[in-house]
Amino acid sequence: MKNKPKPKGKISRRQFLESTGTALVVTTAVPALHGQAPVDVAARTPADQPASVPRTVIRLTVNGTAQRVEVEDRWTVAELLRDHLGLIGTKIGCDRGECGACTVLLDGKPVYSCSNLAVWMDGRSIETVEGLARNGQLSLLQHAFIEHDAPQCGYCTSGQLMAATALLRTNPHPTSEEARAAMTGNLCRCANYNRYVEAVVAVGAARPRSSTGRSGKGDGR
Amino acid sequence: MSQQSGTPGTSSVMPLKPLKTVGHPTPRIDAVERVTGKATYSRDVQLPGMLYASVLRSPHPHARIRSVDVSKAKALPGVKAVLTHENCTVVWGAGAVAGGVQYNDEIKRITKQRRYAFNNPVRFVGDPVAAVAAVNRHVAEEALRLIAIEYDVLEFVLDPEDALKPGAVQIWPEGNLSLNDRNEAHPTGVKRGDVEAGFRSADHVFEDRYTTAFVHNAQMEPRSAVAFWEGDRLTVYTPTGGIANCRHDIARDLGIPDEKVRVICRYMGGNFGNKNQNQDADLIAAMLAKEAGAPVKLEMSRKEDFIGMHGRWPTIQYYKVGVTNDGTLTAIQLRGYSGMGPYRKNSGAMAGVELYRCPNVETVIHPVYTNKTVSGNFRGPQYPQGFFGIQSMMDDVAYKMKMDPVDFVLKNMLGPSTEMSFTNYTLEECIRRGAEAFDWKRRWRPQPGSDPGPIKHGAGMSFMAFRSALGRSNAVVQVDGKGRYTLFVGVTDVGAGAKTTMGLIAAEELGVPLSQVEVVWGDTDRCPYSVGESGSRTTIMTGYAVIEAARDLKRQIAEKGMPKDRDVLVASASPNPTVEGGKTRSSFGAHFVEAEVDTELGHARISKYVAVHDSGRLINPLTATSQMKGAAVMGIGMALHEDLVYDRRTGQPLTAGYYGARIPTHRDAPEIEVMFIENDDGYGPYGAKSIGEAGKILSPAAIGNAVYNAIGRRMKDLPITRDKILGALA
Repeated sequence: MKNKPKPKGKISRRQFLESTGTALVVTTAVPALHGQAPVDVAARTPADQPASVPRTVIRLTVNGTAQRVEVEDRWTVAELLRDHLGLIGTKIGCDRGECGACTVLLDGKPVYSCSNLAVWMDGRSIETVEGLARNGQLSLLQHAFIEHDAPQCGYCTSGQLMAATALLRTNPHPTSEEARAAMTGNLCRCANYNRYVEAVVAVGAARPRSSTGRSGKGDGR
Repeated sequence: MSQQSGTPGTSSVMPLKPLKTVGHPTPRIDAVERVTGKATYSRDVQLPGMLYASVLRSPHPHARIRSVDVSKAKALPGVKAVLTHENCTVVWGAGAVAGGVQYNDEIKRITKQRRYAFNNPVRFVGDPVAAVAAVNRHVAEEALRLIAIEYDVLEFVLDPEDALKPGAVQIWPEGNLSLNDRNEAHPTGVKRGDVEAGFRSADHVFEDRYTTAFVHNAQMEPRSAVAFWEGDRLTVYTPTGGIANCRHDIARDLGIPDEKVRVICRYMGGNFGNKNQNQDADLIAAMLAKEAGAPVKLEMSRKEDFIGMHGRWPTIQYYKVGVTNDGTLTAIQLRGYSGMGPYRKNSGAMAGVELYRCPNVETVIHPVYTNKTVSGNFRGPQYPQGFFGIQSMMDDVAYKMKMDPVDFVLKNMLGPSTEMSFTNYTLEECIRRGAEAFDWKRRWRPQPGSDPGPIKHGAGMSFMAFRSALGRSNAVVQVDGKGRYTLFVGVTDVGAGAKTTMGLIAAEELGVPLSQVEVVWGDTDRCPYSVGESGSRTTIMTGYAVIEAARDLKRQIAEKGMPKDRDVLVASASPNPTVEGGKTRSSFGAHFVEAEVDTELGHARISKYVAVHDSGRLINPLTATSQMKGAAVMGIGMALHEDLVYDRRTGQPLTAGYYGARIPTHRDAPEIEVMFIENDDGYGPYGAKSIGEAGKILSPAAIGNAVYNAIGRRMKDLPITRDKILGALA
């Protein structure tokens, strides 16, 4: 593929990188890029795929680590995380924004990673289930999920964790109704909803209340 | 509630001897993996050089394929293999089997109405037509668009009753009544006594029609399979509830010995029925991997999973019930129709009539082919839909006889008799305790619909006995020179917590802490045969094998002492226990529900839910309670929301997916109050009985009855949606 003639009117990834040097500024308006090997990650993409796939280099932060990745413009965030960054904790249940199994935090807000394109992630920060434990210490929410038997099959659990983590950051002492509202976009076919809500409420209840009630920094930690 | 009892003096709550490890709420042994994203599901498996598969499915409910042209797809760079009915003639044995009889090679051999991995003609929207393996999923999807197929579109039929009418299009040459296990077109059913004589001796005879909808298993992990060959040996990662049965099915379908197939299922995103076997995805991935000479991952989309696999069979149930003036049943007749889709995966039965004491019973069930998505087992295969029909019917009879429905049930329900005795019997206890905890007397409206409104409340109940049979399974346990115990069991963990349950049983019997027992599961190369997680039987059957193996190991340790250095002691057990004296072993339960119906909006919600169960001794009360809570909420979905709606003109499914089928969300789930009546009847592991399916069976009937009590209108068709409630009130 290295010696393959480049399509007219388009620049190669190599040309593009050469022209911008290390001060890489990438936006989604960048013209289609045709590369051989991905930049930093994405090395798992087989080499003999069709060449006419638009690609873009993005910089993003994943679980606190800055990454530079060349992505195909058609990849979803879920696809980038699972297939190319090895973060399989994010699950795909429907791949069309119905179930919430793929929920990640985008700049702190829960989003469906199946319904966001990877190229939109330039300059953004993503948190996944793999980032919840710090230095091998599970978060309080993870502990509560274990104690309350929140995961049955466990397939929706990562999404429930991310949605609940976001809730606890803005509302350190949620009621069960508030927990249900915040997590209603996260389906569980084991229907273990009682347990999920119990666990989230328990984290808030175990946490000391500040004088204003809701000012504490709550990240389920 | 009166004190009248159908079964005086037979209630038996046997005392429980406390145990050291078993019976205490215990977090799952794999809980950390589940909350950190480290649990590896089949869909998470990535192998070097792995290709991605995609399946082209029939857009027509019924059509004959005139020609297939895959040349453009094959020419697309990155495409490595293409399969159609022309180059792949593998039969999916478990996909269609005479009489819907599972796990029976002989019946699969004689099955005439066979299902291939790729069929021609295609018989439902979603029937696989072709499959492609390519370097990534986008190329695979693009390749599907390049496959040109010419169809001769055929007439189709969607409704089971229509399918049996003269002149209906014949989906199979033998007709639309599915063949039984002798390849005969006969309905199934039971006959006892003389129903006509029973109706003549009745003071009142009531007749009615109830229907239930197709509801999809909709487990969170869409069907997936990763297959690769090493020489003539095949490995498949797949979400299966029974690695051993799945392996045997794959081997038989591909015509290779069992030992040439390895099936691995580490974690599994839900089961809920019909996964204790192979799937067509397993076969398609295996054949593509063979053709391409590389590992292949097949990931179904959610829509494919909805229309391409199976869900609970929809039913039409006609009841005729005879009753005397004092509320005693004289005859029950049921004529039923089950929509099986075009292939017979499972029985199509309807359960529930057997729970009433009645001398004259006749049931005639027709499993019927239609051009809809295939029906199969879903958590309590024939129970929730049959229970909704008969227990709604009987509830209605109770009101017509001016009886409290609880009294009517206590008077007429199944109990120990000269023909039938139980290892223990607590049905009456379940009902009485449930009624008390629920406060039935206060919540039940003697006059249905009598709340002033517009928001009206009402109460309903349902009851059950459910098999807890013993049976054969296997376990291996060993201890090494460092004192480490390892338990090998062929279970997967579909979500019910089987690994932990097995570990607890082993720890109890070995007299060591749970932390000292490593459980090895989910791999046919490492684990002995297990029955598979279906029929709520893993705890009972494999759990009992664990006890026997542990006992043997303890005997060996007593004789030889603990092994030293690199030595190991190994014990195995393959018990096949039976119940003495022909007794029936059952779990029991009763659900009490309060419904709140907004009569202006037609919206029904559940405002109180009490579930009482005797599932014997609970090995792990923590996970057992979760099972019951989840099952009840799943039942609420079946009762109030879920349906796979078809367009009658085109035969197209319209609501495939979570949103369309209205799977319950956090907001639909009330607090489920679960009470257990624990028992040890002397059988199974420490008296454990079935759990997994039990909680699902009762909700639709109890909810239907509660809605009736609230609004005074009998809701006869599931799901009980707003349009139906408003229609009934109009």
